[in-house]
Amino acid sequence: MRTKWWVPYAFLALPLLAYSVWVIKPIVETFIISFTNWDGISKTFEFTGWENFKFLFQDHAFHIALLNNVKWLLGFTAVAVPIGLALAMLFNRQGVLANVCKSLIYLPMTLAFVVRAQMWSWILEPRHGVLNTFLSAIGLGALARPWLADPTLVTYALIAVALWGQIAYAMVLFLAGMKHVPLELVEAASVDGATAWQRFWYVILPMLRPAMVIAITISIIDSLRAFDIVYVMTRGGPFGSSNVLANYMYIQAFHNYRMGRGAAIAVIQFVITFSMISFYLRWVMREERGRGS
Amino acid sequence: MFRKGMLVIGAILFLGLLGAAKEQIVVNSYMSDPAPREAFAQLVTMFEEQFPNYDVVVNTFPHEDFKTLLRTWLPAPEGPDVLTWFAGERMQYFAAQGLLEPLDDVFADGGFSALFPEAFRTVCTYGDHFYFVPQSWYWWGVWYRKSIFEELGLTPPITWAQFLDTCERLKDAGYAPITIGTKYLWTAAGWFDYLDLRVNGLDFHMDLMAGKVPYTDPRVRKVFEYWRQLVDKGYFLDNHSAYSWQEGASFLFNKEAAMYLMGQFIMDVAPAEVKDDIGFFRFPIIDGTVGVYEETPLDGFMMPANAKNKEGAKVFLRFIAGQESQQFFAEYLGRLAANRHVPPPDPMAREGLDMILASDGVAQFYDRDTNPEMATEGMERFVEFMMFPDRLDSILEELEATRARIFGQ
Amino acid sequence: MKRWRWVRYLFWVVITIIWVSPLLITFFTSMKSLDELLQTWWLPPRTWHPENFPQAWSNGKMGRYILNSFIITVPSLVGTLFLSSMGAFALSSYRFRFAVPILLVFVAGMLVPFQMLMIPVYRFSLNVGIYDSYLGVILFHIAFQLGFCTFFLRNFMKTLPLSLFEAAKVDGARDFAIYWRIALPLVKPALAALATLEFTWIWNDYLWALVLIQTDRFKPVTLGITVLQGQWIAQWNLIAAGSLLAAAPPVLMFLLFQRYFIEGLTMGAIKE
Repeated sequence: MRTKWWVPYAFLALPLLAYSVWVIKPIVETFIISFTNWDGISKTFEFTGWENFKFLFQDHAFHIALLNNVKWLLGFTAVAVPIGLALAMLFNRQGVLANVCKSLIYLPMTLAFVVRAQMWSWILEPRHGVLNTFLSAIGLGALARPWLADPTLVTYALIAVALWGQIAYAMVLFLAGMKHVPLELVEAASVDGATAWQRFWYVILPMLRPAMVIAITISIIDSLRAFDIVYVMTRGGPFGSSNVLANYMYIQAFHNYRMGRGAAIAVIQFVITFSMISFYLRWVMREERGRGS
Repeated sequence: MFRKGMLVIGAILFLGLLGAAKEQIVVNSYMSDPAPREAFAQLVTMFEEQFPNYDVVVNTFPHEDFKTLLRTWLPAPEGPDVLTWFAGERMQYFAAQGLLEPLDDVFADGGFSALFPEAFRTVCTYGDHFYFVPQSWYWWGVWYRKSIFEELGLTPPITWAQFLDTCERLKDAGYAPITIGTKYLWTAAGWFDYLDLRVNGLDFHMDLMAGKVPYTDPRVRKVFEYWRQLVDKGYFLDNHSAYSWQEGASFLFNKEAAMYLMGQFIMDVAPAEVKDDIGFFRFPIIDGTVGVYEETPLDGFMMPANAKNKEGAKVFLRFIAGQESQQFFAEYLGRLAANRHVPPPDPMAREGLDMILASDGVAQFYDRDTNPEMATEGMERFVEFMMFPDRLDSILEELEATRARIFGQ
Repeated sequence: MKRWRWVRYLFWVVITIIWVSPLLITFFTSMKSLDELLQTWWLPPRTWHPENFPQAWSNGKMGRYILNSFIITVPSLVGTLFLSSMGAFALSSYRFRFAVPILLVFVAGMLVPFQMLMIPVYRFSLNVGIYDSYLGVILFHIAFQLGFCTFFLRNFMKTLPLSLFEAAKVDGARDFAIYWRIALPLVKPALAALATLEFTWIWNDYLWALVLIQTDRFKPVTLGITVLQGQWIAQWNLIAAGSLLAAAPPVLMFLLFQRYFIEGLTMGAIKE
């Protein structure tokens, strides 16, 4: 072998070291804390074994949070990814107008988070908000709802707000991926008489694989990790109906002084996400090996 | 030559050290609103003028974040010297963990009684020691639009029956009788507290806060029954769980609603043209045999046990407790100073103070009086009750299950 | 068929306008007075108050905070791009035993909600003596973003043909040179996209600056403007104005870099 065995490790040494110290070690600490009854502030705590997990298992609020996360997962993967892709295809041009549009679509992501959340709160406000006012104006007033106050609707409203940012993010990912699609292949397909749809499905889409993998992975992770929108717009309310795991964890750890229980929620969330991701990634890598890249 | 050089260097170093001999006091504050922040900054300047050997560094954090960060500062090996905080259970929780420094020195020789009303003593202490220096407090009341009342020929109700009648008349005239914003939960706790204080009195209320009374007790149920009278008749604002307290207040300001049970700080957000049209009255009396109790949340300062400069912090805290600084702060903001020698800054504050002085006792507030986890659970259930009053039975059971688990009975 | 081009342009404009309307509301909000805020909600202001912008700038001390944001964001960006590209190169171009587990380690670090890391990271910074400093936040961001960046770049680097590297090796190039001179330039679009995203995220980071910085003069702009949000009052008009001002650098970054990763791949231009 011409390459010495230690070369890849040399490249990875510094990144891994930094990562282990700043990220991996804290995660391990979190795992340990989940087996204690630490309140996050005292100097002492006890190990309580599986207590926290047993509590969560029968905790009604935890079940609601879990269910809501499933809704978020579906929303992100089934909606954000395809629409992000569509937008990337749509705007994949140069030119002043295209650039302006792309920048404007990206702009929300650059705006401070609390501001976005507040603007959407006003859009969805029951009495005077844009949405309900607009619906009344076009005669669909019957559809007007208290979007954030109705326990059955609130999670969907929050997901919609999150999608607003997530779609732009997916669009950027796919735009980056487009650059890796060789123009010649597409032209060749077109010369061979392929329709636009066939060109898309059989040539472009497969070549977008790297971006697609990232987009799907990130969607899974972000949907299960969703916190900011829920915390700022409803705090998990009304009375816990829009709770998600990360929000519930935060309230347990920092409002209720139950750090151990919060850590347990984080552990559960980690395990779920990790299982899904490693399953997905292993499938992807099998495909990669199959193609012998 | 060399010795002279050393002397010069030595002198410079010495003078440099003298100049750098200013002690630093680090204060972490949650007073992120513009007016209190400015008032506090000026207080600090006053302090530095009187005590020139101290350099006070004030770090300000947004209110919500402060509460979270506090949990990182207190258990760390070293922390800030002075912290803003609330009196009551929220402070006592930390004192119980040994995370706060006792402040008995600040109040040496009966200093506390000389400076502050006796009523504040219990909420500033834990065990036999003082841990808290109060600075200002505010009262709660039912704030209302005078012009709406005039228009309908109403006067501020005194009894519960009168209150119900007032609500009915307001509703008939097309107003939302009572506005509220329950997105962040605590406004609902205000209603629970007051109803409990009016129906069952202060002793029962504090026992409930301390977890000594089950939530399934018939006396607690009675509180909800009264509450239900308002909910069933639709006197509360629609969809209140979508609004923060501030957004709820906007309905009072734009005259879509007529009344709001709230703390005095509502006047901080009232638009200028509306301020004169807003007044307040005492929460209506339900049971004439029960004493009249009010809520008076108390704000102030405490010192973490891991403070670097404890002596300096005590000097600062003594200054804060003094009449001069308390009067300045109160007048600047229209609040009531904790120091009992400071007169109320304006006629409305006078009214508020009189109302409190005429009462039989005070509580802090639900989430300042009871265990934090219980507080979160309690407030969520309160909002659930306001939206689905038929669920009262299951709500009380859930509250009780949480109470039993936390307080261990 | 020129007509189709105009239809496409119209479609773009409509979609963009719908997409951007909440931003328009932000703009309206930034032009209102505090009193008017809750009276007109999302409608255009009755009276325009452009002085909110300079007021947000001075109340929020934005000059200082924006400088801090740059001091924090730029080194973090450079550091994390450099380290993650090295790691990604190793993971994509070499076959070695621990490649997959190491990749999963990087991915695993992305899964945890940040709040749980708060206290351990805070403690660590305090113990090592980098609490309340630029260095502490920069080091944290470099390390924390490594997970996503390594994953991202590895995926793109995987598409590079290994034959290119083999050829270079035959010519006697050393591994680091292959990474620096061949691999990196080939993934320029991915790097540019990543740089844009990372700049935005690190710039907009709120939580970690909050936890790791205490003293006012180190605070980035995300913390700076939230002091406009008090315990009782949120001055949304000033906060909106301040946020729009603070959003300028990330948007400029996007404009600057987007031509690297947005290729003019003209679908259908062939059949036009």
